[in-house]
Amino acid sequence: MNIFSKSFTLTKRALGVLLTLSGVIGFAAILAVDLLDMGREGGIGPAQRIALGLCAALTLLGLTLIPLGKAEA
Amino acid sequence: MRPLLTINRVLLIAALLILLGYFMVYIVYTVNLMHFPFDYDQGEGFELVDTILFSQGQFPYRNTDVYPFYSSNYPPLFHVIAAPFVWIFGDAYWYGRMLGALGTILTASMIGCVVWREGRRRDLALLSALAFLASNTIYHIAPLFRQHMTMVLFETFAVVLLAGANEITDARRRRTVIALALLTIIAAGYTKQLAVFTAAAALIFLFIRQPRRALIAGVTFALVGGAIFLWLIWATDGEWWRQAIRANVNLINYDQTVGLFRLWWNLHGFLIVPAALLVLYELYFARLSIFSVWFIASLGQGALSGTWGGGDSYFATSIAALCILSGIFAARTVNHAWHFPENYVSRRLILPFRRAAPAIASMGLILIPIVYIGYGRAVLHMPTEGAVFETIANVLNIQPNALNGFYDSATRIVGGYADIGHLTTQSDIDAGWRIVELIRQSEQPVLSEEAGFSLQARRDVITNPTQLLNLSLNGMYNGDNLIAMIENREFGAVILRAQFYPVDVLQAVALHYEQRETIYMNGFNYLILRPRS
Repeated sequence: MNIFSKSFTLTKRALGVLLTLSGVIGFAAILAVDLLDMGREGGIGPAQRIALGLCAALTLLGLTLIPLGKAEA
Repeated sequence: MRPLLTINRVLLIAALLILLGYFMVYIVYTVNLMHFPFDYDQGEGFELVDTILFSQGQFPYRNTDVYPFYSSNYPPLFHVIAAPFVWIFGDAYWYGRMLGALGTILTASMIGCVVWREGRRRDLALLSALAFLASNTIYHIAPLFRQHMTMVLFETFAVVLLAGANEITDARRRRTVIALALLTIIAAGYTKQLAVFTAAAALIFLFIRQPRRALIAGVTFALVGGAIFLWLIWATDGEWWRQAIRANVNLINYDQTVGLFRLWWNLHGFLIVPAALLVLYELYFARLSIFSVWFIASLGQGALSGTWGGGDSYFATSIAALCILSGIFAARTVNHAWHFPENYVSRRLILPFRRAAPAIASMGLILIPIVYIGYGRAVLHMPTEGAVFETIANVLNIQPNALNGFYDSATRIVGGYADIGHLTTQSDIDAGWRIVELIRQSEQPVLSEEAGFSLQARRDVITNPTQLLNLSLNGMYNGDNLIAMIENREFGAVILRAQFYPVDVLQAVALHYEQRETIYMNGFNYLILRPRS
C-alpha cells in the first residue's frame, strides 16, 4: 500500500483510525496543558471542557468508522 | 399521492413567498445604505480609508506612532478590488456596500447552482439560495463596506470548483480546476484571515480523496500564499506582520462564543438539522463531499466569534455551507434518492424501517417545505414602518424591537450580535452632516472615532481606534506622540462614540477635553468634546 500512489484513496477504516488517533492525542494534549503548566490556577476551564468533549466525540466517531472497512471515505 | 404532491406544491410556494419577502427587505436595506454617507457600522470608514490608500498606491499597514497614527489590520484584496471606484467616483461608501451586496447575491446564486446540480430541482435550488440571503447574519452584514462577505464569496467559489475536481478525468483540466480553486482560497485569505479554515477544509478533502494530490496542492498552495505573505512583510517594512497578524491575536470571550453558537442554532436550526444529517449520511453510507468537510471546518470560524472584534458574521461561511447541505438533503428526500449500502449501521438503523420507507418518503414531501417555512419564521426580520412594511407588520402584529422601526428575531439576544439591520433616516443623515460641519469649523485637526466624518470634511483621518486597541491589548502600542498631541490640546475637537481607544488615550482625552455636545445619529450618541479652558 503506497499512500502516495495515484490510485490510493482513504478508506472509512483509515479515516476512522486517523480520527481516533486525533481525538486521543488531542484529549491528552488538553489535559497535559494543566498537568505541565504548574503555575496555573483554576483547573480545567469551560473552554477546555468543551475541547475535551469534542476530542472524546472525535474518538468515538473514529471508532464507529473503523468497522466500515474498505468503503471509500 | 396526488393530494400529497398538491400540498407539497402549495407549501413550497408559501416557503418561496416568505423567503422572497426577505429578499425584498435585503434589496430595500441595500439601497437605503447606499444612500447613507457615513459609517453605518463602525469600521466601514476605515475600510474606505484602506481603499483610498490602495487607490493611491500606498499600503494601510503603517507605523501608528507617527502622525496621523493610522494603520489597518485587514488584508488587502477587498480594498484593492474597490480601489478603481475611488479613481472614478472619489471617496464614497456606496460602491463598497454595492460590492458587498452583489457579491453576496453571487454567493447565493452559487449555492442555488450547486443544489440544482445535485438534485435537479429548481424550486429547492431557489429556496436554498434565498435561505442564505434570508439569514439575519448574512442580511445585516452583506450590504456593508466590509470585506467579510467577499471572503465568503471566494470561499464558496473555491469549494464549488473543488466539489467535482477529483472526478475530472482529463488530467490537465483537473489540475487547472484545482489550481484555480486554490488560488481562489488564497484570494479569500488575503480578503480576510478567517479563510484559513476553508483552506484547511480544501486540503483535508483533497487528502481524503488522494493524499498525493493533497501533498502537491498543499506544497504549491503554501509556496504561493507564503511568497505573497513575505512580499507584503518586505513591502511594508514589517508592518504587515505587526499590524495584520501579531496585533490580530486576541483573547476569546468564552460566553460570547457560546452565546453566538446558541444564536446560530436558534436562527438556523431548521437547516442545521438536515445539513448535519447529510454529513452523517456521507460519513457512514457514501463518500464525504467537500461541502460536509467545509461545514465542519467552518465551525472553527464560529469558535473565534468571541474574540475582540469578532461577532455573528464569523458564522457566515458555515451558513453558506449549511444552505448547500440542507438543499441537497431536501432534493434527495423529495426525489426519493437515498441509497443505504449494507453495513453494520444500516442493518441496525435503516433496515428495520424498510417497510415504512414509502410512508417516510411521502412524509418528506410535506416536511421539506415546512422546514423552509419554519426557517422563514425563525429568521424574521423586517422594517415595521413604511408603505408596504407597516401594513404587513400590522397584519402580522409585529412590533419593532430594534432601531428606527425594525424587527429582528435575533436582536439583543446575545453580545457580539451586531446591532444593525435597520434602515437609516433623513434625520440620521442630517445629524451626520452636523458633525461634519463641526469638523469643518475647526482650524485644528479633529480626532474622530469614525473616519467618515473626517473624510466628508476633507480633513486628515487621524488614527484607527480599534487598531490602536488591538496593538495595545497585545502590548505593542506606544501612544506617546498621540497622547502628547492630546495633552497639548492640538485637536480642535474629539468625537467619541464607542470609546474603543486604548485606556491611556481615553484617560488623556478625559483629562484635557470636556464634553460640550451630544449628537444622536443612527442609534448612537456621538460625544463632541472640546479642549478644557
